[in-house]
Amino acid sequence: MMNLLFICGLCVFLGITLAQMIFAAGGSAVTRRFSLWAMLGANLLFLAFSLIIVLRNTTFSYDLYQLSDTLRFSFSVDRLAAYFMMIISLVSAAVCLYSLGYIEHQGSDTGKNFLVATMSLFILSMLLLVAADNTFCLLFFWETMSLTSFFMVLFEREKADTRKSAMFYFVMTQMSTTFLMFAFIAIYHVTGSFDITAVTGVSPFLKAVIFLSLFIGFGIKAGVMPFHKWLPYAHSASPSNISALMSGVMIKVAIYGLVRYLVFVLSPDRWWGVMILIFGTFSALLGVIYALKEHDIKKLLAYHSIENIGIILIGIGLYLIFQSYGFTDLAMLALIGSLFHTLNHALFKSLLFLTTGSVVNETGTRNIEKMGGLIKVMPYTGVLFLIGSISIAALPPFNGFVSELMIFQAFLQSSIISNPFLKILLFLGLSLFALTSALAAACFVKAFGIIFLATPRSEEAKKAKEVSWYMIAGPAVIAALCMLLGIFSFQLFSSQGFILPIPNMMFIGLTLVVTLGLVWLLMRMISNRTTRTSETWGCGITSQNSKMEYTASGFSEPILTIFRPIYRTRKNVERTYHDGGKSIFKDGTAEIQTFKLFEERIYLPVAHFVLRLSTYVSNLHDVDLDTYILYSFGAVVILILAIGWLV
Amino acid sequence: MLNTAFIVLISPLFVSLIKKVKAFTQGRQGPPLLQTYYILVKLLKKERVYSNNTSLIIRITPYINVVCVIVASLFVPVVYIPGLFAGFGNVILFLYLLVCAKFFMALAGLDAGSTFGGMGSSREMTFSAVIEPVIIIVFAALGLLLKTTNLYEMFAMSLKSSLLINPSTLLISLSLFIILIVESSRIPVDNPETHLELTMIHETMLLEYSGPDLAMMEMAHAVKQTLLMAVLINVLFPWGLTAAPDVLTIAISLTAFIAKAAILAVAVGIFESLFAKSRLFRLPNLFMLAFFFSFSTILFELLK
Repeated sequence: MMNLLFICGLCVFLGITLAQMIFAAGGSAVTRRFSLWAMLGANLLFLAFSLIIVLRNTTFSYDLYQLSDTLRFSFSVDRLAAYFMMIISLVSAAVCLYSLGYIEHQGSDTGKNFLVATMSLFILSMLLLVAADNTFCLLFFWETMSLTSFFMVLFEREKADTRKSAMFYFVMTQMSTTFLMFAFIAIYHVTGSFDITAVTGVSPFLKAVIFLSLFIGFGIKAGVMPFHKWLPYAHSASPSNISALMSGVMIKVAIYGLVRYLVFVLSPDRWWGVMILIFGTFSALLGVIYALKEHDIKKLLAYHSIENIGIILIGIGLYLIFQSYGFTDLAMLALIGSLFHTLNHALFKSLLFLTTGSVVNETGTRNIEKMGGLIKVMPYTGVLFLIGSISIAALPPFNGFVSELMIFQAFLQSSIISNPFLKILLFLGLSLFALTSALAAACFVKAFGIIFLATPRSEEAKKAKEVSWYMIAGPAVIAALCMLLGIFSFQLFSSQGFILPIPNMMFIGLTLVVTLGLVWLLMRMISNRTTRTSETWGCGITSQNSKMEYTASGFSEPILTIFRPIYRTRKNVERTYHDGGKSIFKDGTAEIQTFKLFEERIYLPVAHFVLRLSTYVSNLHDVDLDTYILYSFGAVVILILAIGWLV
Repeated sequence: MLNTAFIVLISPLFVSLIKKVKAFTQGRQGPPLLQTYYILVKLLKKERVYSNNTSLIIRITPYINVVCVIVASLFVPVVYIPGLFAGFGNVILFLYLLVCAKFFMALAGLDAGSTFGGMGSSREMTFSAVIEPVIIIVFAALGLLLKTTNLYEMFAMSLKSSLLINPSTLLISLSLFIILIVESSRIPVDNPETHLELTMIHETMLLEYSGPDLAMMEMAHAVKQTLLMAVLINVLFPWGLTAAPDVLTIAISLTAFIAKAAILAVAVGIFESLFAKSRLFRLPNLFMLAFFFSFSTILFELLK
């Protein structure tokens, strides 16, 4: 039965890709719609498949094709892999439903068909990547995933910005593959097989090297600071349904890789946990701080992905630290918290990206300063975005709160560790984690408030209207899950045998609802029920307009001022005066720039160095035949020496 | 239930009491102690006026605020300490219920499209973000000191041991006091007395409410203030609190709480009168002070 599910799902995905590729030029809206429904069905097949494995805690293995003894396309799905397959297929299913409406607004017919084809291949490669049971298979699908996503980022290729973002993404993703390949070859060197199984008997130095290159490889893909820069570029350039998939699911695949290798393959040292914790904390904090200054809604969400990846890494780091001290219960709490946050982030981030897609589609801009008042014209989208915001801001009783609560709980008990410095570090981490979480709430007050509340700030925002049924249904499914997962979290975990020290949100939720009912009844009985509408009070000004509203820049200004050392804003003010005494102002310009710390201090120097190196190498090539023969002779000598040394 | 009803009923009293103390220091008579109750009753009788620009958000916010603080009040026993049930008393949940109320209040501040509301919610969210690490560290320090992360157990622990003499508790209560000042929007962070000076934070968000909605917002704010006072009182002076409820002990603890909270309210009033509203961007220094106090407690406890 399981084989059948697996193969059926696989075939449908491949079929859609092939069909859409073949009919790319001629395919009509009908075939496209059929393909998307089929893709939805295939996702549901995989969802059923993974749910069975997760709930029954079984394993599944399947040999698809053997190239040679070591190079095999074979799959083995255990509970962890199935959990991630569940995340992928769940989010993809909702995205497919949304795409049924969304895709008709995008580009030419050929473009749309091509997008459906790549999307299908993209989802399939993510599913198979997670299912892979050897590194060859894993890398193969890793590359398919990267390439298909690259093409999807390049969707609006006529824009120069998009081309630049896509290239940036491509380079970064290839770097991640290189690091992974290095790590896998190093493991192969030790064990002599490409299987993903526990590695023992590695020298500490080699183990550290393997860990670091795995961390960098997966870290680039996950968007860990300082390897995060591709995320805001790629997410804002691609169509919104693709951003939802990339941010909701693709970066989680990297988390899967990291968890798989840290928990099942390598035997981690303590400092790995500390390092991951530190990287996680900084990704989380800087992610949200950069998100606050962003006015491009998709970039804002992309920075929040970095923040949430940081939170997930904090959980993993805590797991490793507690595990190394032998506190298994606490370690499990941290790990489950972090894995639960992975699911939650996949849900609420795709929800936010999808609803953002609807908004961007209607207003024609990604700049939130030009939106406003949309909740009156797009009520359903507005409420769905609000649910996403509440989840991401970790407010009870939604899912985002529960997973952050687990990490908080793990943090709060860190005093049982014996090393005093580590304890202090953990408490500092706790305070930064709290700051992150509170800043995220501030950021989503800004995002929701500026986009959906008050009055429209541009003509386009005035003309916006509610989107089609599909584009509401897709996000609505996710929104419902966000609520249910939060409220029934305790029941869910205990039914799977994890008794965690978290509050029973069902009772809390029930209390909230009952209190609401009582308050409402009481207010109905004792208060005056007449209402009236009038204009907003504006100190006597009766004709309010949207220019008087608070803007997004205004909203984040106090935070920008407080965190000025981090943003390193540069102000250039130029003034000219009518008189020599500089008292009568004539004209002037002012410009505020934020210093792109990572780009200017890390990426550009590396890029310049590589450029210089390659110029030097290409200069070597500008010579005659004799020199080339000398080169190849030298190469052969070095090769012989190297082989002699290795064997 | 009893606990919540008691907190809700008593909260407006402390609001008036603080006002009264401030009036005395300024050489005025001040409003009668029951003034806040009169205002609430009057507001309930008035009609609601909404701005043309507003949406659903401002209509549901008063309810959400009241519900959040009432559920949060279940977490802070002031009369007797009940047994543990379903995670009631969890510190993080308590804090995030208050954040939830604040989140909606800030959203509603943006709803009417007025500059005041926007300014208020921007500042409120900023300072709530900057104070958040302090709050967490204070409660982490408390958790470390009292060896639990549940408020019920914390209070029971502090009841058992007389903690007042401990230097750690003194540091923590200083930080808790600063948190109380910040979270209940008082001088030097905010000025609860005027509505319209551009320095205001909390009150500007309430500008667009009227009638029963305004009553609910004021009530929620008063309850929140009492809750934070109760946390401070229960940790520092838990006398009178009981774990085994009967009529006599409940009566004693009720009176004890009113007396203790009244003293604290007077202290808050005097504190407010002693200081001037400080410049907005100097406030993080105050927060740093609280952070320093609580973090030094943690260092002290960890390295002991």
